[in-house]
Amino acid sequence: MNKISVYALAALMAAAATAQQKIVVDGSTTVGPIAKAFAEYFMAANPDVNITVSESGSGNGAKSLVNQTCDVADMSRPMKDSEFKAAADKGIQPVAHVVALDGLPILVHPSNPVQELTVEQVRKIYLGEITNWSEVGGPDQKIVAISRDTNSGTYETFEEKVMDKQKIREDCEYVGSNGAIRQRVQSTPAAIGYAGLGFVDKTVKALKINGIYPSAETVQTGEYPVARPLFMYTNGYPKLGSPLYRFVTIHLGADGQEMVEEIGFVPVTSY
Amino acid sequence: MRLGTRKLLDKAFSGLGLMAIALMAMALVLILTPIIWRGSKAYLFKGTIEHRRVMLEQFGRGDAKAFNRETRQAAEARAPVYRMLEEFEAEMKAMDRTVRRNYKDAYGEVEEALHVLLGPRPGKRTPVLLRQQYGQTRWDRTMVKLHEVLYATEWDYSTPGAMGVQIEKPRVDQFRGTRLEPLFDYLPAHIDEMMRPRTTFYWRFITDTSKDSHIFGGIWPEVLGTIYLTLGAMLFAVPMGVIAAVYLCEYAKEGRIISFLRICISTLAGVPSIVFGLFGLAFFLNTIHVSDSKSVLAGSLTLSLLVLPTIIRSSEEAILAVPRSYKEAAFGLGAGRWRTVLTVILPAALPGILTGIVISMGRAAGETAPIIFTAAVSVGMPLKLWETMNQPTPALPWNIYNLCTEHEAVDEIRHVQYGMVLTLVALVLLLNLAAITMRARIAKKLRG
Repeated sequence: MNKISVYALAALMAAAATAQQKIVVDGSTTVGPIAKAFAEYFMAANPDVNITVSESGSGNGAKSLVNQTCDVADMSRPMKDSEFKAAADKGIQPVAHVVALDGLPILVHPSNPVQELTVEQVRKIYLGEITNWSEVGGPDQKIVAISRDTNSGTYETFEEKVMDKQKIREDCEYVGSNGAIRQRVQSTPAAIGYAGLGFVDKTVKALKINGIYPSAETVQTGEYPVARPLFMYTNGYPKLGSPLYRFVTIHLGADGQEMVEEIGFVPVTSY
Repeated sequence: MRLGTRKLLDKAFSGLGLMAIALMAMALVLILTPIIWRGSKAYLFKGTIEHRRVMLEQFGRGDAKAFNRETRQAAEARAPVYRMLEEFEAEMKAMDRTVRRNYKDAYGEVEEALHVLLGPRPGKRTPVLLRQQYGQTRWDRTMVKLHEVLYATEWDYSTPGAMGVQIEKPRVDQFRGTRLEPLFDYLPAHIDEMMRPRTTFYWRFITDTSKDSHIFGGIWPEVLGTIYLTLGAMLFAVPMGVIAAVYLCEYAKEGRIISFLRICISTLAGVPSIVFGLFGLAFFLNTIHVSDSKSVLAGSLTLSLLVLPTIIRSSEEAILAVPRSYKEAAFGLGAGRWRTVLTVILPAALPGILTGIVISMGRAAGETAPIIFTAAVSVGMPLKLWETMNQPTPALPWNIYNLCTEHEAVDEIRHVQYGMVLTLVALVLLLNLAAITMRARIAKKLRG
């Protein structure tokens, strides 16, 4: 009996030693679709590597990287000083890989006749100074403002580029993911929200901001005012040739760029 | 109280009880019917030729010869569509530039919608993303996408001060008098031959891995992850819980400390599950590092803490329910305390203990919050047993939520979401059924 259990243990340990490699990806829900597509693409070519992707928000991604519980932190905003400091304290060196560009479309229900707003107007809506669509040329309906939660990189981009760091109105509704924003907007005619480019479909309408429609061109040239890069962070630059290295460089190849574009985001270069 | 009043009260009470049961049954039917009806569509649906193509190319299943024959027939039916596209493209090239501009965007939309419906155009390069390599795999989605080819959705904002109204413009109007016009009559008339729908029983939905984040394939990683997490939680919680219960009932001397412990256990049972989840992250992952990332192990440990109070309390009740005479008889025959517990009390209490385990198993399988931070991921491969020690896994409860709120193309794959719900409910039911039969058997054996 004892012998058997020793053998079993030995076999288990041997198996553990030969267990497949893993890459754990955590973080932004905006980068999530890109990470999932890359993971699928990578695993199809390398079945011995298991890539898991979770979408818990940029802030959580950064925390996971600092706590060394993930290999790649997806982030839709750059790391903050405090996060860099926490990382340095733990001996982690975050290295940024910009995998795509993203505009932050301001979304309304497609039945809303408003076609464009200025950054100023959007800010005032979220500040609570504009509360009715009639004030910006729409019908007489109370505006339902929807925002991402404060853990999200999308929220922080919005706070920086649109809100000018001013406080969002108190009755604003906070939701936990890009998908949830789209769902709230597509089911609420008087709603306004914002999400990553890859989440825009026919059920919602993206507005022109300052007269510019969010598209690949206007994001790339910087004309669209609410745009940002999307990051994958690793601890140090991955060992050349390692699975992790090949994973975080997929976006540099033509296939990677095509995937980014087809999901709805903007590739970093015009491949 | 008069006899008449008592009888009336009695009747009223039993009537209330009956009503409560009827209400519960109705609620159960209301909840279960849509779950079963919608969930079954993930398994049993009208699959198109594209579904069979996915099966053959991605999972290596199906009769290649029959499929090739079918593909040829479908390709024949589709050929006129592509011919019309080519003819129109040639026609467009010959147009004056200003005229061409009128058609360019509208034609792009048609081409795109056709790609979504039928898959990539023959002769064009294969897209990298898997979801673009195939047309619609299900007949219900095919009808939706066909509608999108035939009609452009626009919004009419002409009434000032009111919300816009959705109008559907037949796309054929944009192409009147061109070579593309017949396409819009051809498509609805021949969609059957192009897509070849057939009733499909896709039972492998439960044993297939997902392809391209659940757009194709099944839910095996999620099912397996749920099973691992549940069994793992039981592996830790059952021995600990039963031993704790035995100690509390048989060994501990009633006193302040013990009653304080009992209060603690009851309190633990009332702690919200998300608190357990955060505790699991802070303690198992960030403090004692049971694994270097989220893992099934960390998730199981967290879940075991969650169900521990239930197991302790129900085991305690079961042990206390063993007749005192059993114990006294064992002592009278000269058995020690340890022997009495092991050979007399525990076997007699087993059915009660099992009930507690059954209830906690269902709870562990369905809990989402404790595994968000400790074990669950959106996509991942099915794990081998030893990989559970340090790798995270998708799990049904979390992925249902994730699909519903975070997936970028959730409207395309609602059937997967409902399929997951049905599978989870069935899984919990099955676990319970197995345990209930086991319990009945043991109880029968005990009675002799």
